[in-house]
Amino acid sequence: MTVASPDRVVAHAPSDPAEEGVFGWVATVDHKRIGTLYLLTSLFFFGIAGVEALLIRVQLARPNAHFLSADAFNQIFTMHGTTMIFLVVMPTLVGLANYLVPLMIGARDMAFPRLNALSYWLFPFGGLLLHFSLLAGGAPSAGWFSYAPLSETPYSSTSGTDYWVLALLLLGIGSVGGAINLIATVITLRAPGLSIRRLPLFVWMTFVTAILILLALPVLNASLVMLLVDRRLGAHFFQANGGGSPILWEHFFWTFGHPEVYIMALPAFGIVSEVIPVFSRKPIFGYEFVAGSTVAIGILSFGVWAHHMFAAGLGHRADLAFAIGSMAIAVPTGVKIFNWIATMWGGAIRFETAMLFATAFLIQFVVGGLSGITFAAAPIDWQVTDTYYLVAHFHYVLFGGTAFAVLAGIYYWFPKMTGRLLDERLGRVHFWLTVIGFNLTFFVQHFLGIMGMPRRVFTYPDLPGWGALNLASTVGAFILGLSVLVFAWNMAISLRRGAVAGDNPWDAWTLEWATTSPPHPLNFERVPPVLGRRPLWELSLPQAPRRSAAIPTSEQAPPDKSVVAVWAFVVSETGFFVVLILSYVFFNLSTKAAAAALDARTTGLFTACLLASSLTLVLAERSLARGGHRAFRAWMVSTVLLGCVFLAGQAREYLKLFDGGIAVSSSLFASTFFTLTGFHGLHVALGLVALGVVAGLGFAGSPRGGPGHALKAVGIYWHFVDAVWVVVFSIVYLRSVL
Amino acid sequence: MTTEQLLLSTWSAGLVVPLLCLLAIAGYALRFRRRLGARAALFVLAVVLFFVALASPIGALARGYLFSAHMLQHLLLMLAVPPLVLIGLPREPSAASPRRAGAAEYVGSWLAGVGAMWIWHAPLLCDAAASSTAVQWLQTGSLLVMGLAFWRPVLAPRVSDRLPAFSAMVYLFAACVGCTILGITVTLSPVEVCRAYMHPVDSLGVLPLLRGGWGLSSKADQELGGLLMWVPTCLVYGAAILATLGRYYGEEHAASAFPGAPSAR
Repeated sequence: MTVASPDRVVAHAPSDPAEEGVFGWVATVDHKRIGTLYLLTSLFFFGIAGVEALLIRVQLARPNAHFLSADAFNQIFTMHGTTMIFLVVMPTLVGLANYLVPLMIGARDMAFPRLNALSYWLFPFGGLLLHFSLLAGGAPSAGWFSYAPLSETPYSSTSGTDYWVLALLLLGIGSVGGAINLIATVITLRAPGLSIRRLPLFVWMTFVTAILILLALPVLNASLVMLLVDRRLGAHFFQANGGGSPILWEHFFWTFGHPEVYIMALPAFGIVSEVIPVFSRKPIFGYEFVAGSTVAIGILSFGVWAHHMFAAGLGHRADLAFAIGSMAIAVPTGVKIFNWIATMWGGAIRFETAMLFATAFLIQFVVGGLSGITFAAAPIDWQVTDTYYLVAHFHYVLFGGTAFAVLAGIYYWFPKMTGRLLDERLGRVHFWLTVIGFNLTFFVQHFLGIMGMPRRVFTYPDLPGWGALNLASTVGAFILGLSVLVFAWNMAISLRRGAVAGDNPWDAWTLEWATTSPPHPLNFERVPPVLGRRPLWELSLPQAPRRSAAIPTSEQAPPDKSVVAVWAFVVSETGFFVVLILSYVFFNLSTKAAAAALDARTTGLFTACLLASSLTLVLAERSLARGGHRAFRAWMVSTVLLGCVFLAGQAREYLKLFDGGIAVSSSLFASTFFTLTGFHGLHVALGLVALGVVAGLGFAGSPRGGPGHALKAVGIYWHFVDAVWVVVFSIVYLRSVL
Repeated sequence: MTTEQLLLSTWSAGLVVPLLCLLAIAGYALRFRRRLGARAALFVLAVVLFFVALASPIGALARGYLFSAHMLQHLLLMLAVPPLVLIGLPREPSAASPRRAGAAEYVGSWLAGVGAMWIWHAPLLCDAAASSTAVQWLQTGSLLVMGLAFWRPVLAPRVSDRLPAFSAMVYLFAACVGCTILGITVTLSPVEVCRAYMHPVDSLGVLPLLRGGWGLSSKADQELGGLLMWVPTCLVYGAAILATLGRYYGEEHAASAFPGAPSAR
């Protein structure tokens, strides 16, 4: 057979030899496979971080123990925290979103499958980089938030912290890529009839989470860059002895860190909002309030970071403002809890394992939330911060909350992913072992904290009650470890011998249950019409129209996905530059003298070149739209040339400064100046590469209707880079002249 | 002087403010005399808040005493009066062929709202407004106008003039970020923003009460002002975002996909 009809090609595409075997998994761009890879990789790192947790608990089981040295203990708790947050919780949630969001909105794949694969592969390599530090002189040991100056070279002299910075940068870039992809997917690829009003709550909360990632991760990335410049190039951003500010690191870190808490919690809320209604046989109570409170949480989460810093001494008024803001977050969170309870109220509840985990989530998350409110009161915070009370609090939120919700989600969606149900009997054993182990481990830590046991000490004196409570906590941790083994065993045997699930084992109503289990490589044979918030249930009603006439006519065509993605990227880049600009302003506000070495006039000329390049790019777009290919090429070439002239001007400025003996490490002005303008220059260079590619497409005559599509996206980015320079030039150069 | 005396004795309405208030209410009543409804109460509330911002002790303290009182006045004039005026106007029927405003127009409105916060707190202008009556009137007028420009895309009486729900949410969130950045800078900055408030000329004799009784040193005053610029502002924008989302969800019930189905909640 030499000629295949087009139909046969489509039917056989999935069994392409390239899709088989290990290579098929490595090279995959299918969102389901990538989602599975995320989940399996997270599980692997969960094993590592779990063993680290057990080592910590063994060391702390008895007073005055010497199972681990103090230094090893520091390294292990740092790795445990970093791994759990960046290599377990976030990728697990991103993995679930990757697998489920396209299915739940009736799409064939994510908006950008290749970007999706890139985002995934940055994750295992970031993880490897972090763990490579073990071979390179020692793991990082400054805690998961790496407070300066402890994380600076004089106090953390091994390269562990450098690997920590680089790994987090890679993971941060991957997360931003994933977030852009999710946003573009939800905005542009929804099935007909699935308006934003009807989105499944898991998709909605993932969408809000993606926005939080987009805004929060760049803040971390920019601070990591500054920390790395401190450590490797001898600057003093966060070192008081060179005029820098350790408090600034705390501000930046928690500006990322607090939204991060909700990045780890909101998708869990989404899972629970899917599981509870299905197993209560009722629609979610107050959909609008669950969805709206998510937005409220998202907004408030950016305004409360300093409640992590009450002990740093911010002053009475700032403490008060942040305490009020933090307590305000309890309102939308409480709204959700009441909605879930009201959903269960009067429902025909089926306590399958998924529902058991969701119910335990509800109870334990309330415990973690209540202890969280106690931290919002600054005086209580001063007493118990950095004690085991805090450790108990955030494990109730992250394990009792997020991990339980994820387990509920895995019991719920495992049949969809594999075609087989997880074993219910083993599931119950797993559930009860997890509940007992978790609460035994962490509940007693509340008391240890109130009794004054500090966190992050490698051992403790034999004070009354401390030994017994710590031993109980260690026993609990091992029960928890056992529960994980039961879970792994359950997955292993169910994968082979589990009951066959069928398309919709739980009588659920979101779109992912309309396709086969596991789903067809292209997801759906045909996406069913979406008539409301519970498509499959509404379709089963006798009065449901059989045709797709019910699709609202008011729907507009979705925006272009590459434009959405570039705008999302621009938002994220803005966050990155805002942090660098704020640091420049913070360190140079009170003095103009330092900037006197700059050559404002010549740089002004080069600035004009950069701005002119924006103009020529607009002209290029116009001539392409009018079909003038010659003019298009001419304008593109002049844009690239003008950009190169600007870079040459920057290089000239740098050389002049170097000649004058001004280098990155010479003063805070120099550090902030070179970091800010250097990263801007890097963005210009990358923009030039992108423009070059588009221009090249124009010269080659791209087969897919010319470069107009790509040009629009690259154009937005190039204008953004120019706009950033206008701000930088005004703040750095014009201020030194005026 | 005690706090009670201060709150009672420093009302200074003058002639212009009450006159403006009466004119506004009379103008509203005449213009909409056939369509007076519950919304009129919101308009009156806007006028009352305008009066409070200028004639009450807030206004008195904003004239050279406290940066935080000035911020409170600023917030009333930008975040309370203009939106209440817009909600207080009767709804206009949507135009048959709505004129779609361009992106530039919305960017302009946004810049008006956020720019008012940034421009009037440039040290030079901030000092001028605190010490000169003429500049203060200019400030008051411009805040009202820029406030109206900012809120119009969200709350215009004609629904077809408003931004679509999700664009409006982005618009409001970006404004919150803009004010947050300035608020953080003012709160944490070691540099004084308004020198006029550092050493007030104590014509009312209230300075000992403010510095001693209220414990507002000039540094504490600036901190409080920065926090006011940031926290309440974002809370108002956040509330507007939630209201917009609520309105968006409300439209679902107005246009249910198919009437036979039980309400899809």
